[in-house]
Amino acid sequence: MTLPPDLVAVLPLVAAVLAAIAVLLVDLALPGRRTAVVLTALVALGVVAFAAVAVGGEERVAFGGAYTVDALTTFLHVLFVAIIALTITFAPDYLVPRALPVGEFAVVLIFAMTGAMLLAASTDLLLLFLGLELMVLPGYMLAAFHKSDGYSTEGAIKYFLLGSFSSAIFLFGLAFVWGLTGSTRVADVAGALGAFAAGQGTLSAGLAMGLAFMTTGVAFKIAAVPFHYWTPDAYQGSPTPITGYLSVGPKVGAFALILRLFVEAMGGLRADWLPVVIVLAAVTMTLGNLVALTQNNVKRMLAYSSIAHTGYMLLGLAAWAAGRMEGLEGLLYYGAAYSFMNLGAFAVVAALQKRTGVTSNLGTFAGLGRREPLLGVLMTLFLLSLTGIPPTAGFFAKAYVILAAVQAGGAVAILAVIAVLNAAAAAFYYLRVVVYMFMRDSETDAPAVAHGRLLWGGLAAATALTILLGLIPGPLLEVVGRAARAIG
Amino acid sequence: MSDSLDVYLTLSGILFAIGTFGFLARRNAISMLMSIELMLNAVNLAIIAFGSFVEPLRADGSVIALMVMAVAAAEATVGLAIVIAIYRNRRTPLVDEYDAMRR
Repeated sequence: MTLPPDLVAVLPLVAAVLAAIAVLLVDLALPGRRTAVVLTALVALGVVAFAAVAVGGEERVAFGGAYTVDALTTFLHVLFVAIIALTITFAPDYLVPRALPVGEFAVVLIFAMTGAMLLAASTDLLLLFLGLELMVLPGYMLAAFHKSDGYSTEGAIKYFLLGSFSSAIFLFGLAFVWGLTGSTRVADVAGALGAFAAGQGTLSAGLAMGLAFMTTGVAFKIAAVPFHYWTPDAYQGSPTPITGYLSVGPKVGAFALILRLFVEAMGGLRADWLPVVIVLAAVTMTLGNLVALTQNNVKRMLAYSSIAHTGYMLLGLAAWAAGRMEGLEGLLYYGAAYSFMNLGAFAVVAALQKRTGVTSNLGTFAGLGRREPLLGVLMTLFLLSLTGIPPTAGFFAKAYVILAAVQAGGAVAILAVIAVLNAAAAAFYYLRVVVYMFMRDSETDAPAVAHGRLLWGGLAAATALTILLGLIPGPLLEVVGRAARAIG
Repeated sequence: MSDSLDVYLTLSGILFAIGTFGFLARRNAISMLMSIELMLNAVNLAIIAFGSFVEPLRADGSVIALMVMAVAAAEATVGLAIVIAIYRNRRTPLVDEYDAMRR
């Protein structure tokens, strides 16, 4: 028996939906058995990753060109699975003491992953939009997961209102781009726009407006300045493991959308959108870092730092538009490195908050190096990686992106200089946490809580990836190289 | 009924602008949700207008409009659930009083 080729192409998605249903059923059949639920989720995610790699063995186009499996799709699919698996490992330590259901958390998270996976494989504007919504709707629910907590719901309503506002803007742009180019297929839109770039006819005002609206909508989703207002509250308010996911999953997902939109659909017009990206990147990284300097809450500080990291990733896009393929590779590498180090940092914050009532204020970290040396050392590693200090993943990713930008020359090289200055400024607020951990006396004399084995497993994985991606970048570089060539 | 596509697109643009203004100017979370719905309906009007005036887009138009309606419904569901959750905590639907994290 052979499956129809269209069905084979979407097998990873089918596996992801089945994984969510399996977790739901296990949670239903064995209520209160958290270990069983988590193990089911992790095994099912393993199956999804296997399906993604197996199906990604060759390039596939399905559903009349609306769905494409290429090297980029496979890379993103595996990355999303890894992000979700890591989030699930460190969530129970935070959720259980607060009487929040682990099973439902895992299910909603896996449903969000199906959206992200659809987004990564879509080569049709409408399907991209559906994937985006499927990814962010569970995100809103997760942000409000602690529904009796004022902060969680407050963060969620801001996330939701701004999120659906930006979706509406994106959709308005999509309607005009579809109406005026005559197709929602990325390849057809690229053909129509490429004709304008080649000088055949001029870009009509309606089409230009449509593209501008879509760009604005996407800028909201990646939290680029000045469309970032929802980020700090949504990140600070959400339960910590969920903040970890929100700062990573939807961001990488939105970058997948950007790659399909800017690189594939609007690639012909790159000379026109390059200045926009340069300005966005410069403002985003600078403002993100400057405001992060003044934060006393580590979650809020990491929220602003994630805005700054968006800027560095946009730098890679700018370098690509200026003619350097390495920019695109750097962007993808940065996405992976950022995911692991940021999730690691949030895992430590979540571990400290296992005792209910512990805030994410800077004071919580005072004396951590003495109270819980291992957590202190790991947090230091993740923060050093976020700063971009060798030999960590963050250093290699940042260096790669900046190098590509410098080679691109012109305005992009100036942007690279801004990025370097920003990285230096960012060191201040990352290292401030390290100073608190090792050079301040503890503000509390409560004994350390025991952390779950699962959390240590997740932390070990994040640590290993953060170090390995810095020391041995070769294998991943080869993967992102193939992924970049698939679209650029 | 006008027989010009531009008239409908202009109307859609005006509706979208009203929705945007409502979203930015209103303080009540429910009003903001309604403004977003207005924006999405403006999008649907534009899609239907393209679909009925441009012959090759006719079949696609209805499908896209249906999908947008489905997404709008899903979004409203999640949104109202969140509004109810925060109303239980804060006893107010006014968003500028949701400022616990900025104090």
